[in-house]
Amino acid sequence: MKRPHRVFHRRLWPVLAVAVALGLGLALAWRPPSPLETSTTSGQ
Amino acid sequence: MTHAFRAVQWNRVKLVYDAAVFGGIALYLATFLLAGAWLWPAAHPVTWEIQRIRAVGSCAFLMLTIILAIGPLARLDPRFLPLLYNRRHFGVMTFVVAATHACLVVTWYHAEGRLPALVSLLVGNLHYGSFIDFPFETLGIAGLVVLFVMAATSHDYWLKFLTPPVWKGLHMAVYGAYGLLVMHVALGVMQTERSPLVPLLLGGAFAAVAVLHLAVDRVAPLGDRVPEEGWIAVGPPLAIPDGGARIVAPPGGERIAVFRDGMRIVGLTNVCAHQNGPLGEGRILDGCVTCPWHGFQYRLEDGRSPPPFTEKIATHRVRLRGGIVEVEARPLPPGTATAPARLAAADRVGENHG
Repeated sequence: MKRPHRVFHRRLWPVLAVAVALGLGLALAWRPPSPLETSTTSGQ
Repeated sequence: MTHAFRAVQWNRVKLVYDAAVFGGIALYLATFLLAGAWLWPAAHPVTWEIQRIRAVGSCAFLMLTIILAIGPLARLDPRFLPLLYNRRHFGVMTFVVAATHACLVVTWYHAEGRLPALVSLLVGNLHYGSFIDFPFETLGIAGLVVLFVMAATSHDYWLKFLTPPVWKGLHMAVYGAYGLLVMHVALGVMQTERSPLVPLLLGGAFAAVAVLHLAVDRVAPLGDRVPEEGWIAVGPPLAIPDGGARIVAPPGGERIAVFRDGMRIVGLTNVCAHQNGPLGEGRILDGCVTCPWHGFQYRLEDGRSPPPFTEKIATHRVRLRGGIVEVEARPLPPGTATAPARLAAADRVGENHG
């Protein structure tokens, strides 16, 4: 890799890692409940 | 090394590499499909068609994960270098598997409606303002387009036409594509599939790739200190492995590989003319510096490929001062002959007894 590519790589990966980790975390946290969980809750 | 353009240059190593990748794909798909009954219990069965879609999609994601891990792994441990040799074919196969996944999705979910299949795919979900309901298909399409561009320009013809720096810059878009595809899975199958395996494997794969790329940045410094006159101290001559190199990094410039070939010490740019591979991580074979990535070779004395090849790289002056090898930070024009620094016979005694 030439220097500009290395500089780009060095700047990109921390940003990409944080952005994707955040996206992944939110996607997991905001996952809708499964139909099984919903029916159990409504049954109670 | 190329002195005349040839469409395909196959050799035994490439054939073995491709056969291993093909075998790996077949084995993965067979295992995934056979294990379907275990992956999806009777309470949540999935059809054979959906199982095929998931098998091919997860295979493409796994292949891309491996491809992105190969580069940093090869930098951190030379034992992974053989995986890097034919990585471009691996990349093309990844695109083919990913495109197969897309075709299966379109024909299964969108082919029988009133709208044309591709239109149906694009307008089926328009919740662009929502995070959790975001049309994950769009993320997949964007990732696939990037993979297509990578695959279409993977041949050496495009490398030569675009020049290695532009080609390399273009191919760095694959990092963004990987991020898009992680989110494609996270907002797609992870929302409907409740097995903890999906987030665990997805998060684990991305974390592994990210850690490797962050780690490789830490072991490759961007710039060493340059003392007076623009010469950089490399170290004692015998600290440079015989037949190998030490790499130094002038601030603001390309890294320099300082090689030792017995009694001779020379300085060359660390950047291979082919794909900008790290020459300093290669070896001296047959009197030539040999790139660890694809075997391109350069003569020590002038940085030119041996005839009939025509590639040439920048050279650097070297000198011995007070028992320390120094290299000039400023590169000489590619192919410029330089005098090597020569060790005295007495200097090597320490090597034999060290």
